Amino acid sequence: MAENINLSPENEDELFRFLRDDERASSEKIVAPRYSYWRSVFRVFFRKKLNIFLIVAFVLLLISAFVLPLFFEYNTMENVADATTYSLRPSEAIARFGDPVKYCLGTGPMGNSIFYGIFASARTSLSLAFLCAAINMTIGIALGAFWGYSKKADGIILAIYNIVANVPSLLLQAVLIYVIGSGFKSLVIAFTMFGWFYVAYFFRMQVMIIRDREYSLASRCLGTPLYRIVSKNILPFLTSVIVTLLASEIPGYVNSEVFLSFAGLGLGAAVPSLGRMIQNAQSAFITYPWQFWPPIFMASAMTLVLYLLGQGLADASDPRTHML
Amino acid sequence: MKRYIFKRVLFSIFSLLVVVVLVMIMCYSLIEKSAIFQTDDTWNKKSNNDRGIYELVQYQKFGYLEFEDYTTFVKNKYMALYGEDYHKDAEYLKDKVAVQDPETFQQNPTVQEFVQKYSTGGYTFKYFEPMKYKSGKTKPGGNGYLLAVRDISVWLRLSRYITHFITVETTNDVKDEALTDRYIRIEKDPYSNMPAVVGSGTQHKYLIYFDKKFPFIHQNWLHLNLGTSYTMYRGQEISSVIKSPTGELAPTRQQYPTFLGTDEYVDTAVDFHSLSYNSSELSEVELSQFTDKYTVYSYNRDGLSMLGNSFVMGVIATILGYLLGLPIGNLMARKVDGIIDRIGNAFIVFIMAVPSVGYIFIFAAIMTKAFGLPYKFANAQVKILAYVLPTLSLTLPQLANLMKWNRRYMIDQMNSDYVKFARAEGLSEKEIYSIHISRNALIYIVHGIPASILMSLTGAFITETVYSVPGVGRLLINSIGQHDNGVVVALTVFYTSLSLISVILGDLLLAKVDPRISLSADKGGGR
Repeated sequence: MAENINLSPENEDELFRFLRDDERASSEKIVAPRYSYWRSVFRVFFRKKLNIFLIVAFVLLLISAFVLPLFFEYNTMENVADATTYSLRPSEAIARFGDPVKYCLGTGPMGNSIFYGIFASARTSLSLAFLCAAINMTIGIALGAFWGYSKKADGIILAIYNIVANVPSLLLQAVLIYVIGSGFKSLVIAFTMFGWFYVAYFFRMQVMIIRDREYSLASRCLGTPLYRIVSKNILPFLTSVIVTLLASEIPGYVNSEVFLSFAGLGLGAAVPSLGRMIQNAQSAFITYPWQFWPPIFMASAMTLVLYLLGQGLADASDPRTHML
Repeated sequence: MKRYIFKRVLFSIFSLLVVVVLVMIMCYSLIEKSAIFQTDDTWNKKSNNDRGIYELVQYQKFGYLEFEDYTTFVKNKYMALYGEDYHKDAEYLKDKVAVQDPETFQQNPTVQEFVQKYSTGGYTFKYFEPMKYKSGKTKPGGNGYLLAVRDISVWLRLSRYITHFITVETTNDVKDEALTDRYIRIEKDPYSNMPAVVGSGTQHKYLIYFDKKFPFIHQNWLHLNLGTSYTMYRGQEISSVIKSPTGELAPTRQQYPTFLGTDEYVDTAVDFHSLSYNSSELSEVELSQFTDKYTVYSYNRDGLSMLGNSFVMGVIATILGYLLGLPIGNLMARKVDGIIDRIGNAFIVFIMAVPSVGYIFIFAAIMTKAFGLPYKFANAQVKILAYVLPTLSLTLPQLANLMKWNRRYMIDQMNSDYVKFARAEGLSEKEIYSIHISRNALIYIVHGIPASILMSLTGAFITETVYSVPGVGRLLINSIGQHDNGVVVALTVFYTSLSLISVILGDLLLAKVDPRISLSADKGGGR
């Protein structure tokens, strides 16, 4: 051993040598596999067979809501002039019109095709849900992040929130629709007028929890600007929370639309809507079951797929599930 | 702590006021008010100026505006001068028809007086020019009118609402000079043989009385004026509408006041405790039946009130939800991904995903087929059975919700340090679950109890629609459909105060159950 190691100064050249640049880079590398957040999300997500099935169902849902209505032209008032077409059971309707696709689910109380109706209504419901969720989540998250971070603004916004939150949201929505009239636009206004406030409040709490964590404190001490702390330290941590919220918000709007239209407050008679189809059929659901169950099924399928998909995505987006 | 509650209550009252102002602004200022005539037949029948006058009268009734009429002004003026015979006076007749001439009416001294009187106070003048055929004959409904109109501002409306919110009956309520004997005293109530507070000169006869109906002691003394309905329950006060019984008339053997003490009994559903003052002339029948002018009554009915129906169903559903939801949630949490957990989760997702109309119908279809339970509320042979299906339908979402949250909280608690410590100490699993975990999980659950009980008073729209239950759930939606602003405001106040109360009660209960939580900032944790 002793002869191999020679520490005498004349042999210094053999002990040390200069590295080439590319050699240096490889030696600095950390051996652990590279972690990419979104890749891990998808890896965890696609590990479950149910999730793959849900993705397929979701794509089918999007096709049936946004592509099929392009081919299946639907008009609620199409046969309204001809009272003999009202409430025909599927077999009668096919015999009457000779269109086995369009009338495979019979006709509604105004002679409208149920089969085309549920797709057109699904488009209304989904557009409404996506639009409202986009508006509410964007405003809510932005305001919530600011609200949670700024101690000065907290008191004032909280006081306003306490007033709004004490009013049952159905009451607010109903009164708003009462005031601005029914229709797609007013439904969007009714859902987004105060909807973002609830999102923001939920977010305020999440941001407050993380705001005072050690690593946030440390970067504040190092002089990191506020927007960078919010966008780099806090929001990434909340991705899974955002997705969880989204998973319950979107189906929530679908259900709210069904409820309000059922109550006669939602969309006007001319706009195809699941809630209105259900409402029209509910009084006679024993005599005309083919009018009642398809829209119920469509609404359930939409909320179910959206909810489960959101849950799966939320699970996958939680970094704690990313460990191998 | 007391100071904290006081502050909370004050803030709640403040937020209630803000909400009422907002709703009043929305209902009275933002909605096109002519919408109230959409379904009004009288409006269709009126023509020309009469239609305009009718619109104003209706607007006044609905609380949009106030107006003073020139004709009434002239009448009052001459009545003060000449008493009952004023209409024979030539001056009066001249002044009365002055507005029928659009060219000269402004020179009339009485018109000028009228204009002078209402030139202040925010009035604007509205002159309906007489409408005449070419022949000079007045068109039907084409008489001329002069009016002073003013809009009711939000603040005036609010201050009136607040000052009239609670009224107490006094002996001066009845404006009838013939009634000289005015008192409030304790008398023996012949209908219950118990003492009762009886008033004369008050609107109601029996102010406080006992009877056999829950809650046994009743009062007509203090009245809460939430708001008056115009279209749905013509002119009735909403709090009395939701409190008065529904259903079929329920006659019992009773005696009219004149026959008290005799053997004369009749089968009648009249509720003699509800007697109130009749300001018009009594009919012969009434004279034979009643000893005084308190002859206006309501009827006994076999059903609960609208509020009662909603409340009974809601409270039982809440209790059932907690009784079933908590243990099932516990079982689900104990074996995550076990068979119970899977079934439970499927149920939760089903309730969440299927619109409530859907699962209520499915449930109703199954239950009516399987057990022969009555489907529509009014069709039930046995009254109590009518409540079964609606109550169970209301339980379903509560149950799912409680199962979901109790499971979540239990699982969160299971991983905490004190559970590991308890296990290390050698406690049995049963002890750990029932003593440690459930109790800590319950803390979160407890917060929602007051809300779910109180909010059941607001009723459930879909359940009540599906089973046709006479409850309060449909009131809001119906009032909006019929442009009944008074009811919308009344229900806003009702719902909002319930929700405010339940939040405060929930917080207090939470602090009571968990001693670590301190609500007031001066003690313990808060920042």
